[in-house]
Amino acid sequence: MEYRSSEITSKYLRSKKIPSTACSGCGLGMNHKIVVQAIKELGLEVADVVWGTSIGCAGRQTFATWKGDGFAGTHGRAYAIARGLRIALPPEKKIILTVGDGDAFGIGLMHLIHAARSNADITVIVNDNLGYQSTGGQYGWTTPQGSHTDSSPYGMFEHNLMSDGMDVLEILKGAGATFLARHVAMDGALAVETVKKAILNKGLSLVHMPYPCPTNFASRELGSRNQVNIYRWIKERAAPLGQEKENTVWATGIWYDASNSRPEFHEFIHETVEKIRRTGTL
Amino acid sequence: MKRFLETGNFAITEGAILAGCRFFSGYPITPATELAEAMSLRLPQVGGFYLQAEDECAACHMCVGASLGGMKAMTATSGPGYILYADPLGWALGCETPLVVLNSGRVGPVSGITGAPGQGEFYLMRYPTQGGNYETICLAPNTAQECMAMTVEAFYLSERFRMPVLVLADQLITDGFEDISVPENEDEMKEMEFRVWPRKVCQGPEFYPFTDDLDIPPVVLGHNTGGVCSDWTPTVEGYDIEEVEAHHKHAYRLIYKVRNHRDLFNHHYQKKFMDDDPDLIVVSYGSPSRVVNTAVIKAREQGLKVGSLRLINLWPFPDEHFTQRAKYLSVELNWDGELVREVQRAVPKDSEVHFLGTCGDLPTTPDLIETFEKLLKNEPISRKGWVLEEW
Repeated sequence: MEYRSSEITSKYLRSKKIPSTACSGCGLGMNHKIVVQAIKELGLEVADVVWGTSIGCAGRQTFATWKGDGFAGTHGRAYAIARGLRIALPPEKKIILTVGDGDAFGIGLMHLIHAARSNADITVIVNDNLGYQSTGGQYGWTTPQGSHTDSSPYGMFEHNLMSDGMDVLEILKGAGATFLARHVAMDGALAVETVKKAILNKGLSLVHMPYPCPTNFASRELGSRNQVNIYRWIKERAAPLGQEKENTVWATGIWYDASNSRPEFHEFIHETVEKIRRTGTL
Repeated sequence: MKRFLETGNFAITEGAILAGCRFFSGYPITPATELAEAMSLRLPQVGGFYLQAEDECAACHMCVGASLGGMKAMTATSGPGYILYADPLGWALGCETPLVVLNSGRVGPVSGITGAPGQGEFYLMRYPTQGGNYETICLAPNTAQECMAMTVEAFYLSERFRMPVLVLADQLITDGFEDISVPENEDEMKEMEFRVWPRKVCQGPEFYPFTDDLDIPPVVLGHNTGGVCSDWTPTVEGYDIEEVEAHHKHAYRLIYKVRNHRDLFNHHYQKKFMDDDPDLIVVSYGSPSRVVNTAVIKAREQGLKVGSLRLINLWPFPDEHFTQRAKYLSVELNWDGELVREVQRAVPKDSEVHFLGTCGDLPTTPDLIETFEKLLKNEPISRKGWVLEEW
C-alpha cells in the first residue's frame, strides 16, 4: 500500500483540498487513505462515487476532498440525506459517507438506525476520534471509560455505547445493517480489504474506525501531544476479533457480514413503485 | 378539465404532480397527515416515491437529498413538525437546493389544539432557521383550488430561485372539501396560469456564483460535474471557507436573488374595494380572509367605506400595497398579533393600525362588521382586539 502522495491522490482527490486542514499528527488521513485505496482497488472511477460527509473533524476534513460530486450534511443528518439521494441516484452509483463518532452514534444515531432498517446501499465510515475533538475535546458515546476529557475532568464515568460489554455495532445489527466491521487506523491493508467488502455490499455497510487525536484527546488523557503515545495507546487496546485481551476496547475485523442478504432500499422501493404504477396494486 | 369535490390536500397533491414532483417524505401530523396519505396513494401511480420518515427532521432532509439527486421534492407538516425543519431548511437555503415545503397551521404553542386552524408561524416562515443572511419566499392560499395553483407556483419559483419555497396554509384550507378543477393537459394548465420550470443541472465549475441572477441551475449530484455543497459558507466552487468577505458575498446572493426579483411573485395578492380610497383597509391572509371578504361586501352594502387587502405573497413582505393613508385592521388567527407588526411597519407614518385576533376558530361576519363600525366611529374595539399602540 502506498502511503505517500501518489497516483491515488492525483486521480481521486482535489489538490485544492489535500492536504486537509487537520492538525499535525491527526490519524484521520490514515482512515481517509484506507477508503480511497479501497475504491482504487475495486477499480471504481471518480464518477462512480458520490461522497458525503458531515460535521466535526472527520466531516470537515474530508469534505470536497473527493474529486467527484459530494456534500457535507448537517450534523447527524447525512444518513437521511443519503437515503433521499439513494432513491434519486441510479443504483450503480456508490454513496460513501465519512463521518465522525458524534455524528453517527450521537446526534445521528436514529437516522443511522433507519438507514440500516431500510438497508439503503450506503457505505458509512465512522472515523472515531474518541469524542468531540473539533469543539476542543469532550467525551462522546464511544469514548473509553475513565478517559479524561474537557467535559469529563474526573474521568468519563457515564455508561456509553462501548462500555459494560455493549457494542454500538449490536444496535445496527439489530436494526438491519448488512455489513458491520471495525478497524483502527493503523490496520492499513487489512482495513482496505474490509472497506472493499463494505462498498461491495448492496445495502447498509458501516465500518467503525477509531483513529488517534494527538491534539485534544491525547493531550488530556495521556498528558502528551506526542503522536507516538496515542498511536501506541490505541494499538494496545485493539486486537483482532477472537484474539481479544483483557484491555481490548476495539475488537477488529469483520464483525458481521450478511452482504446481499436483504432487499436493498433503492431496488426494493423502485421495483415496488414500478409494480404499483403498472398494475395499480402490490 | 376534471372536477372534484375534494380537500385542499388533494389539490396540493395534484398540483405537486403537475409541477413534476416525484418525491415526498413526511411524518404524520394533524392536519398535514391527509396530504401525506394522498401522496402515498398518488405518487406511485405516476412513478413517484412516498417515504415516511422517522421524524420531520429526517423527512425534510430526505427531500433535500432527493432534490440534490435531481428529483423535484416536497414535504408537508404543521407547526410542531415545522420547527424540526429548521435544520434541513437552513441547509437547503445555504446549498440553494430547490424544495417545496407546506405548513398547515394549527393552534399553538407546542401541540396546542391539534385540529383547529391557527396562524402562529407568520414569522417562522420568514425566519425558518438560524443565522439570518437569507430571504424566504412564502405563498399563502385561501382555497383548495388556490392550494393547487400555489403548489405549482412554489415548484416553479423554487427551481428558478434554486431555494426552498414555503406554502403557508391552515387546517381549514387543507382539510376543507371544495370544488376543485384539475387541468388534464398543458393547454389547460396554461389556461389556469400554471407555470412549470424543468429541473436543470449546474455544470460548474462555478457552483455558487456571487450574483443575484436567477436561473442558475442548482447543484445536482451524480452527474460527475464535480459539484459539491455543504453547510459551511461556500467559495464559488462550493468549498468551505472561513472568511468574512466570502460570507458577505454568499449572503448577498441569498438575500438579493429574492429581493431583486420580487416581480416574479409579488402579483399574488387580492384587493377588493380598494380603488375609492377606503377609510378602513382590512388586511388578512389564509382562511380568515374568506370571512373578511364576505364581511367587506356586506359592510359596503351597509355604506361602510371598507376595503380588503388579501395577501398571498407573504414574504418578502409586500410593502408596496401599504401606501394608502387609512385606518388598517389586521385580522389573524392568533391572539398575539403577528401580521399586524409588519402592517404597522409598512403603512404610512401616521396611519392607525388595529388588530383583531381569534384562534382555533374564524371570526364571524357580524363580529367583523361590528369591529369595522367601531373603528370608523373611532370607538375602541375592546373585546377581541386592541390598538397596537396600547401594547
